[in-house]
Amino acid sequence: MISLIDSKKRVFYILALVFIFSSYSIYLFYIQVFKSSEFTNRAISISRQTEILPSQRGEIFDRNLDSPLVVNNDSFAVLVIPAEIPNELKPTVFNKLAALLDIPLLDINKKIPVSYYRMYQSIEIANSVSQELVFSIAERKDEFPGVSWQSKPRRNYLEAGSFSHIIGYVGEITRDELKILFNKGYQSGDIIGKSGIENQYDELLRGKDGRQFRTVDVRGRSVNQPNLDVIPPVMGNNLVLTIDRGTQILAEKALGDRIGSAIVLKPATGEILAMVSWPGYDANLLMAKGGNNYFASLLNDERNPLINRAIQSHYPPASTIKIAMTAAILEEKAFDPAERVLCAGEMTFGDRIFKCHILKPGHGRLNLQQALAQSCNIYFAVVGHEKLGIERIVTYYRDFGFGEATGIDLRGEASGFVPTPQWKERRFNEKWLGGDTLNLSIGQGYMLSTPLQIANMLSMIVNDGIIYKPHVLKEVRNQETDEVSFSYSPEILWKSSITKETFDQTKENLRSVLLEGTARYPLANKVVQIAGKTGTAEVGLSDRWHSWFVGYAPYNYTDINDVIVVVVMVEAANVWEWWAPYATNIIFQGYFAKQLYEDAIRELKLTTTVRIQAGRIE
Amino acid sequence: MSIIEIGPVFKRTDWLIIALSTSLTVIGIMFIYSSGINSVGLLVSDEYKKQIFWAILGFILLIITLLVKPKILMDYAFWIYLGFIVLLIYTRIAGRVVNGSRSWIGIGSYGIQPSEFAKVATIIFLSKYLSATKHEPNTFKRFLLSVLIAGIPFLLILAQPDFGTAMVYIPIYLFIAFFLGINGKYLAFTVGVSATSILFVLLPLWQNLIREEPINILRIFYEAPYVYYLFALLSVVFILALLGHIYFKKRYYYWILFSIIIIFIGLILGLAAGKILKEYQMMRLIVFFDPNIDPLGSGWHILQSLTAIGSGGLGGKGFLLGTHSHYRYLPTQSTDFIFSIISEELGFIGVLLINLLFLVLLFRIYMIMKSTKDMFSLGICSGVSSLLIFHYIVNVGMTIGIMPITGIPLWFLSYGGSALLTINIALGLVLAIGSRR
Repeated sequence: MISLIDSKKRVFYILALVFIFSSYSIYLFYIQVFKSSEFTNRAISISRQTEILPSQRGEIFDRNLDSPLVVNNDSFAVLVIPAEIPNELKPTVFNKLAALLDIPLLDINKKIPVSYYRMYQSIEIANSVSQELVFSIAERKDEFPGVSWQSKPRRNYLEAGSFSHIIGYVGEITRDELKILFNKGYQSGDIIGKSGIENQYDELLRGKDGRQFRTVDVRGRSVNQPNLDVIPPVMGNNLVLTIDRGTQILAEKALGDRIGSAIVLKPATGEILAMVSWPGYDANLLMAKGGNNYFASLLNDERNPLINRAIQSHYPPASTIKIAMTAAILEEKAFDPAERVLCAGEMTFGDRIFKCHILKPGHGRLNLQQALAQSCNIYFAVVGHEKLGIERIVTYYRDFGFGEATGIDLRGEASGFVPTPQWKERRFNEKWLGGDTLNLSIGQGYMLSTPLQIANMLSMIVNDGIIYKPHVLKEVRNQETDEVSFSYSPEILWKSSITKETFDQTKENLRSVLLEGTARYPLANKVVQIAGKTGTAEVGLSDRWHSWFVGYAPYNYTDINDVIVVVVMVEAANVWEWWAPYATNIIFQGYFAKQLYEDAIRELKLTTTVRIQAGRIE
Repeated sequence: MSIIEIGPVFKRTDWLIIALSTSLTVIGIMFIYSSGINSVGLLVSDEYKKQIFWAILGFILLIITLLVKPKILMDYAFWIYLGFIVLLIYTRIAGRVVNGSRSWIGIGSYGIQPSEFAKVATIIFLSKYLSATKHEPNTFKRFLLSVLIAGIPFLLILAQPDFGTAMVYIPIYLFIAFFLGINGKYLAFTVGVSATSILFVLLPLWQNLIREEPINILRIFYEAPYVYYLFALLSVVFILALLGHIYFKKRYYYWILFSIIIIFIGLILGLAAGKILKEYQMMRLIVFFDPNIDPLGSGWHILQSLTAIGSGGLGGKGFLLGTHSHYRYLPTQSTDFIFSIISEELGFIGVLLINLLFLVLLFRIYMIMKSTKDMFSLGICSGVSSLLIFHYIVNVGMTIGIMPITGIPLWFLSYGGSALLTINIALGLVLAIGSRR
């Protein structure tokens, strides 16, 4: 049979055919048999989508557990799956979303560039969206193809104001934080506590997100499959603070709009009942829209509203240190407490004149009790320098906890400072002089202390030698069952071997400060007997001083658990009104008479207006 | 054509070819049905019903074509061809736009793609022209005119623009020309021009998107001023070689001229294609090099298809049980990616069966080609073979990631009326020839 195709072509054609089909078959064999398991895994993983079941961050309560200080509000993130919006509708949908959510269209376009238009992955375009807005999207679902939402509870700080410094605030984890915390299971996009309790106990509060694995099709629609893999979320713990809401508000108002701080603590346990620092900030504003601008304005504010002055600032303790000095003199029997020292208003020491706050002719002759009551600098300077000596002063100050952080469960605590001759030589290459001892004896010079350390000093007196570690966490409770999983038991921070007689005598002397001494008038109080000490720290200004008061009440307590220690510190930056003693009195009045601030000042016949004082008062 | 002929024609018809094509069509309908089932197990598409309708219509057309004497077709070959050229022009102007190409005409929701049927018309007319001029096999005029016959529909479809369908006209031409005796030099020229133009289309894409750091020297082939210098340089070399060829009559001057003309035309076509092709088409070409370059865009399709095929394994997941396809990870799974769903559900064994069905079909057509007595019949059979082979290579190659995504259907299996009718008519032609040899 003669063919029109010559044999060369025939062979070529048949070979080509066989080659094509066999090479394809071999390649398919390679994919389907050799590489099959790899592709099978890929087929499973790509169609298995994990859905995060969000855990609820714990709520925060005050010590009375009546109503929360911090709750989680319903809030939503709005998500867009670009490929589900028909291309011709994209501009319209984006415009509508921008208008509805009140965000710039540019933001949406930046988050969803054209290259993402075919993507089936959801992109978050807005968060902190209210339920009402989400409902209005849901009602018009057909106008918003590819738009979905996800519950993202928002922290709501019911008590802002002075509470913000204690509780802090939360925010999205930063890259730097993630580097450190990654091993603890944190992930990018996590909400993390940035300061205060939120930061300190983040791991207790945050809980753990659950996961649900779904088999999905390309559009993310779930496919009915019986074997659902679910890892349930673990709810965060509720925290109960030692803070008493009423006392905190009382202290906040007592301090008023004055740069400074106030602390109310229970010496018997170290529990902080109130801790106020002014100026403060509003944690809610930080998380609301424009929070970044607010944060920037806080950073730029030269009054440093972000600083918690009660623990993060330290100052010269001034005359409040005479409490520790009194205890030291008594305990060391360095000087007969009944013996008098002459205060002539000033004394010459070396080539410089050392002045008391009462100028010539001065306090006259004073014994230890009178010197404390009148806050005489000359007495303590002379006895401190001549009888006690620098070594013993430093030792006693250290015993009272000065120069070391208290370890309170809030971040960024300052440690204060107790100078020593060795330090001065190292630091300035200068010899420690008698004048330095004089200064140290009256809490001036190099010494620095936080308000909390001052409160601790008095706590030791009240507790007869024990300082409990101050703390703001009281209990940890399970969010679902409300069971207490952890309860803070008092922890001894410092223990002193000073005798009870010394403490009792010191307490008596402190009481005399209010009976006959410097604090007699500002702390006149009918509700409770107070003992305490004023302090007025030199800051180099001629008409303004740091104003301190630290006191405790009731003076003659039968049960140590009834006692509270209050410290108020008003910075010299304010108008001079010698406010610390008054503020302290308001707090005692309100606390023991169970009165609100307004009732307390009426009772004390104080006005809330600024009362400018003419000169320095101890 | 007369009734009397039916008996003898049927007697000599290769019923195996019909059995093969019917088997493939039935498998196609089964998997179009499968692809219409969504993740929840609901049938969401009635494409399979439409495909059954097309299959029946296709079978009727096949029988009708089988009964038509090839002689009649030969007589009307020019008019058939001209009719489809006019239709293609009309489509280009007034057609419906589907997937970015103006390639459909029709009424209401029914439509056809003239570019599919024009393939058969081109095969018929090209076969007729080349068989009519078989006595002058080596003339340039014969080559030029034959290129023109395939080139007109090619350009019209390229202008729709439907890159993939237009490409089919190249193997049609090469096959028919190969068997009907176009000079090897001319064929080499055609292949050379096709290859160089595709090379010059892809070169800038490859440089910019795959390498990211372009090789500078290669920029002369596509960047604005340099490419003109290149043209100038080529012209100079061309003239020198031409002079050499005329005066010294050395063989190698001829081959230099030959190569330069190929490069010249390839460059021009490459530059032109760069202007004509749309961005997404370019992207598909690029993804063909590296599917991972755009895993959520064009590369997505290839990766998903490969995943579906690979996860099918040796025995497949079972009919209607393919997970990847039912969760709709595969794009256009009833048309372009029908092979992926078959591979996923039937596994390598099923794939082998499909390959075998196609291969045996081609062998049966080859048997007809071998025994045919006239050049026209040989041309038709080789043209139809080229259709079968090229679509298979490109479509299956696309699903396994070794060919660019072009939207070329897989004969018999892919959903689509135009394609199914076209291949039935084409097979009818082959059978008509086979039963009258």
